[in-house]
Amino acid sequence: MDFDDSPDEAAYRARVRELLEQHSGDLLRLAPGQENVDAGTHEDALRRTQRVLADAGLVGVTWPREYGGQGGTLVQQSIVSQELARARVPVLINHIGIGMCGPTVITHGSQDQRDRYLARLLRADDVWCQLFSEPASGSDLAALRTTAVRDGDDWVVNGQKVWTTLAHVADHGILLTRTDPERPKHAGLTMFVVDMHAPGVTVRPLRQMGGQADFNEVFFDDVRIPDGERLGEPGEGWRVALTTLMNERVAIGGAGGSIGLPVEAFVQHARDRLPTLGPERQALARQAIGRAVVAALGARYTGYRRLTVLSQGGIPGPESSAGKLAGTAAARLVADAGVRLLGDDAVYAATGDGDDRWQRTQSWLPGIAIAGGTDQVLRNIIGERVLGLPPEPRNDKTAPFSGGRP
Amino acid sequence: MNFDLDDDQRDIAAGARDFFRGQASPAAARAALEGGRLEPGRKALADIGFLGITVPESAGGAGRTLLDLAVVAEQGGAVLAAPSLVTAARAAVLLSAEPELAAQLADGSTAFAVLDGSPDGSAPSVDAADATTFLALDGGDLVVGEGEAVPGRPLDATRGLASVRLTSRRVLVPDAGELWARARQVAAVVMAAEDLGGADRCVQLGVDYAQEREAFGRRIGSYQAVKHMLVDAWVGVEQLRSLVWWAAWAADSAPAELPLAASAAKACAAAVFDEAAGTLIQVHGGIGFTWEHDAHLFWRRAKVDRLLLGDEAEHLDAVARLAVAGALGR
Repeated sequence: MDFDDSPDEAAYRARVRELLEQHSGDLLRLAPGQENVDAGTHEDALRRTQRVLADAGLVGVTWPREYGGQGGTLVQQSIVSQELARARVPVLINHIGIGMCGPTVITHGSQDQRDRYLARLLRADDVWCQLFSEPASGSDLAALRTTAVRDGDDWVVNGQKVWTTLAHVADHGILLTRTDPERPKHAGLTMFVVDMHAPGVTVRPLRQMGGQADFNEVFFDDVRIPDGERLGEPGEGWRVALTTLMNERVAIGGAGGSIGLPVEAFVQHARDRLPTLGPERQALARQAIGRAVVAALGARYTGYRRLTVLSQGGIPGPESSAGKLAGTAAARLVADAGVRLLGDDAVYAATGDGDDRWQRTQSWLPGIAIAGGTDQVLRNIIGERVLGLPPEPRNDKTAPFSGGRP
Repeated sequence: MNFDLDDDQRDIAAGARDFFRGQASPAAARAALEGGRLEPGRKALADIGFLGITVPESAGGAGRTLLDLAVVAEQGGAVLAAPSLVTAARAAVLLSAEPELAAQLADGSTAFAVLDGSPDGSAPSVDAADATTFLALDGGDLVVGEGEAVPGRPLDATRGLASVRLTSRRVLVPDAGELWARARQVAAVVMAAEDLGGADRCVQLGVDYAQEREAFGRRIGSYQAVKHMLVDAWVGVEQLRSLVWWAAWAADSAPAELPLAASAAKACAAAVFDEAAGTLIQVHGGIGFTWEHDAHLFWRRAKVDRLLLGDEAEHLDAVARLAVAGALGR
């Protein structure tokens, strides 16, 4: 057992720091107190930042070399992530492409697709989004209704997607469609790569409860997709989507990363704010602080265990769902305690001097408990695939999708 | 970065599991409530070497790490074994400069207990009920002596709780505050490890029953209301396992992290074991509420342990104070 860098890891970390220093003038940096930047208003700077990092070999660390990656380990990836955070570089604009779309293209795409897309994705020449959820199919993703109908060498797509992060700046997306409504719901799906600039694609930003607009609804009206943009065989879309979803849960809190503000930032906040409270309030606040820190450390060290297994060749399994579940719960305790420490300002959307970090975090965490598998879906996955409990009886898995609808 | 047990520790765990399953059981914990003897008992634990895991080899122990001991303690906790390895680990720290006494600890020839609170009338202390030799903090000095133990009516007989008044005392280490604090942190880690074993066993037993029991025409584990309770308990167990390993590792390899890690593990254990034991009873329904069923024996252990060696509130407060003071290293 050992939490320090091995000599190889230490050398790698030093090299990463050196590269970040070397390119520091070309990278977008977060201001003090700022946790992220809006992709819409900072698109050019974010794309440039990712391009510089990609050219320095710091993007797609775990991707195979033949697709423009570094062929590195998950531990190396986590070192790069730590050093990017330390250097105050914002989350990469193409994080969805790198974490979810790219791995799906690698696993299920044709050689032609890999050649055309992957290197450009890593350099943020193209930004990617993931077009899965629909107004009538969220947790029950396989109930989706967007159709793709074969027409000569093309497929013609009609329907609507929703909650699509980054669609407003994206160039490509992976799109899950129904191609055979006469087959059972999971068997009639097909995945495509779609050009977000194609005629018939309309993107409309959605405003979230906290006021930001990170995600969108996307409409498809007779959008033509060449058959060469298919990912996997017709009818194999569910299997392809599972690749994406599993990568998503690893990306969100699955392997050592934290959700929400890091516990160190929280502790610094507590250090600043505790003395402003009266003695009785301080004692109560310390209970909330302690509870949040214990939960955050529990999630962090459980992530380290998973990272150890993955770095020794293990494959991401349903345990990653537990990482997201516990990470989300910890993030909520941290945000709640962070807001409470603001005293009277806790009931406002920002402090008197304009600091809204804790209130903002508080207002987007409800979304984290929904995105990429709701807490309840994750509990089903863990219950059935880790603990081996029986599933709920279902009558929607075998009937033709077209006849299964009321 | 390598945060996993090694092959050696996995072997130790497997051996400990076999030993404890053969030598102790919730049934023995039930019998102890009605005057039966504690299983496996001090002699069996000494014979297999578990009382001396962290005692130096020069004093007849195995000279191994606290992580090794925690791995063994988890297996003991799974079957509610007694006496507790908490006592062995804590006394081993306190007796680190006393090879003769440490040898008696390791070979089981002397029944030690470590007293919490005043030596002139201690708080209920683990394994004190049938101990003959007591270690206590007396005005800042570490003392050893004999005493009169007064047990209360046990909620969990396997903890051997009693209040003790020392009738003789000899100073072992003057001004031993730091040593005492470290021993208590080590004790908290080992109790968290035993609680981990108990909580993990509760989840297993609950899952097994939810697989079999049918209601409304199907197995109850298929209902999300039941499934999600068990999942939440399991997720808690996994967080606890990580904190126990970290804390035990810290005791061996990063002493500066031990106070924070020990309090985090103990606070987590208090909540997780209580939830797991409560879930075990709830999943079983009425049968889980009977004297004959094992569920209440885990529940008793959880209800008692969460208050020993500092309750959840005390350890949460310690975590907050230490973190704010800068103890979050990594």
